[in-house]
Amino acid sequence: MESMIHDMAERLFRDHVSHGLRADAAAGQCPETLWTRIEEAGLHMALVPEEAGGFGVPAAEALGLVRIAGAHGLPLPLAETLIANAVLAGGGLALPRGRLTIAEGAALRLERRGGALHASGHMAMVPFARWADRIVTIVALDGVDHVLSLPVKDLTVTPAQDLAGMPRDDVAVDLALTDADAAPAHRSMGGMRGLGALVRSLATAGALETILRMSVEYANDRVQFGRPIGKFQSIQQYLATLAGETAAARAAAEMAAGSYDTAAFALTVAAAKSRSGEAAQTVGALAHQIHGAIGYTEEHALHHFTKRIWSWRDEFGTELDWNRELGRAALSSPHDTFWHFITDSTAQGVLT
Amino acid sequence: MTLTAFPPPPSGADHNDLRQEVRAFLAEELADFSPEKRARSWNGFSRDFSRKLAQRGWVGMTFPEEYGGHARSALERYVVSEELLAAGAPVIAHWIADRQSGPLILAKGTEEQKRAIVPRIAAGELCFCIGMSEPDSGSDLAATRTVATEVEGGFRVNGTKVWTTYAHVADYMILFCRTGKSDDRHGGMSQLLVDLKATKNIQISPIIDLAGEHHFNQVIFDDTFLPSDALLGEKGEGWSQVMSELAFERSGPERFLSSFALIEELIRLLRIDATEAQQAEIGRLSAHLMVLRQMSRSVAGMLNEGNNPALQAAIVKDLGALFEQDIPRLARSLISRPAVPGGRDSYAAVLAYTELAVPSFSLRGGTREILRGIIARGLGLR
Repeated sequence: MESMIHDMAERLFRDHVSHGLRADAAAGQCPETLWTRIEEAGLHMALVPEEAGGFGVPAAEALGLVRIAGAHGLPLPLAETLIANAVLAGGGLALPRGRLTIAEGAALRLERRGGALHASGHMAMVPFARWADRIVTIVALDGVDHVLSLPVKDLTVTPAQDLAGMPRDDVAVDLALTDADAAPAHRSMGGMRGLGALVRSLATAGALETILRMSVEYANDRVQFGRPIGKFQSIQQYLATLAGETAAARAAAEMAAGSYDTAAFALTVAAAKSRSGEAAQTVGALAHQIHGAIGYTEEHALHHFTKRIWSWRDEFGTELDWNRELGRAALSSPHDTFWHFITDSTAQGVLT
Repeated sequence: MTLTAFPPPPSGADHNDLRQEVRAFLAEELADFSPEKRARSWNGFSRDFSRKLAQRGWVGMTFPEEYGGHARSALERYVVSEELLAAGAPVIAHWIADRQSGPLILAKGTEEQKRAIVPRIAAGELCFCIGMSEPDSGSDLAATRTVATEVEGGFRVNGTKVWTTYAHVADYMILFCRTGKSDDRHGGMSQLLVDLKATKNIQISPIIDLAGEHHFNQVIFDDTFLPSDALLGEKGEGWSQVMSELAFERSGPERFLSSFALIEELIRLLRIDATEAQQAEIGRLSAHLMVLRQMSRSVAGMLNEGNNPALQAAIVKDLGALFEQDIPRLARSLISRPAVPGGRDSYAAVLAYTELAVPSFSLRGGTREILRGIIARGLGLR
């Protein structure tokens, strides 16, 4: 797909996301200058409608930015800010400047106290919370999904991190909300869990492509027994398996991205998170096997990508969580046959 | 485009009206077709069924109308194909002709060949087989020894083909053989169109498979005369012609739906009652199937655009074979019920049939090792 915003992102990340920048970020340093460049390019607004300040590109194209960010191991909440802005715009809330993040709302309690809304509870593993200005989440109140925009300065953030050293913080919430920070969501997209699963699937697909490229390069360059190790059939079989899993992860993630905002999203995102997580397992193992001992060092770039794909499996539902959900849907579906369930799973009715 | 990019199938690829028509047709035609028969997947042979399907316009769908086709898109053909496979319809009598021989003749054949053969394929009247493997040429197709020597008015063919599926009933074979010498290992090969019903000195004998079934044959050409107009395409271009067929052969839904009858049996039983662990395994299976189908439909979209996505097709076949071969293991891990060949319990009978069928899935149409070698080279390994 030819895409101006993809080319723009590709150039920006290629020029500015280095091994050193990823290492510094893992050591706790937020790459502020790079974020400014992303904001200047407007990438963080790509998923909101044109009238709200977006580019007016199709959602699948805007979401493609997440795959590209994943391919570069971008240590910033671009995916989170994209989704947060789209959800805020959907709820008719103001789009604040700055970095935003997203969190599942299931652990929060939303209630009316007097005339005002009040949110309370704990959220674990909130991505980049300490680097973000606001946390956007979706919480049900009286059966209606509400979008909340929580200012991080009013929350209690306890730092924690994922396998790749990226901030995944514990957040305690006890906050009265103004009308500017809470509104009914314009429609249900299965809450923040599905949207988070979507962006983690896309980022995984991107990271897998980078891991595949690194593995092919290494197999071509590394000489043992007098020839590049890529000449050995066992290594070729590993690489072919790696390519197949990478292709499947990308097809899965793009299938879900293509059904964003349609009735097919609930099942396609389940398939995407499950399939990309499974691919991460296989690809991570094979890539390290191909790279040998050097790939197991801090010095080599491979771990920035393998640790990310391993971590992303655990956010917004694991493979097991999504497999159960998809399996329950398949086994309890009203369709005559499993086949009818499968063909309908990707059929895109309009979400109401 | 990178090897790992499978562009989404074009919007509107669902063709729901067509799908419902095919389902209604199959419900009627296969009303008495047992699960065990469905388990034979695309190996089921019925000329009667193929003709009826053709009468509905569902054979040769993508062929031009002037050759008896229906000028439908590759995506519409895809919908019909996957519905046939999911139902376990007996399709092999027309399958190979519809999938690759017809398109090959349309692309490379003479006007006479096209007019003589393609309309009969579209009518569901012609069964094709593919003469590729030989006793000393399996994965190594370039080791082909069968020779067609030019003589007055045509060719004399000598050699032996093996594993030729349904040669004993087929009307035509597309024969891959040597027609000249070449320094290039892939040179000097040609494809010849063999009228199996009208040609003398061809000996076809059965090779029984481990399930006791007769699909394979040995086909011996013993000074067999073929007329000049048997040549299909360019002389000496056989290798590249065969390679251009592979994307059609390797990317379709038959590369991941071969065990589908067992999946339906398994899910029928689990629907009554399933633990969370069983639900999760069915979810994982569903995710794999949804994604394979997306990738396979993506290749159909690329074929429809006139591209040759041979590498993407190899990926679909490799992943698809892993999936369909894994179904008996999965079934055994979820339900404890022994496999019984021909058993009255349809789950047990289908499990037995499928267990014996699955080893062939990563052999036919290019072995797993060959496919992975192709994929690895496509990745840019030097």
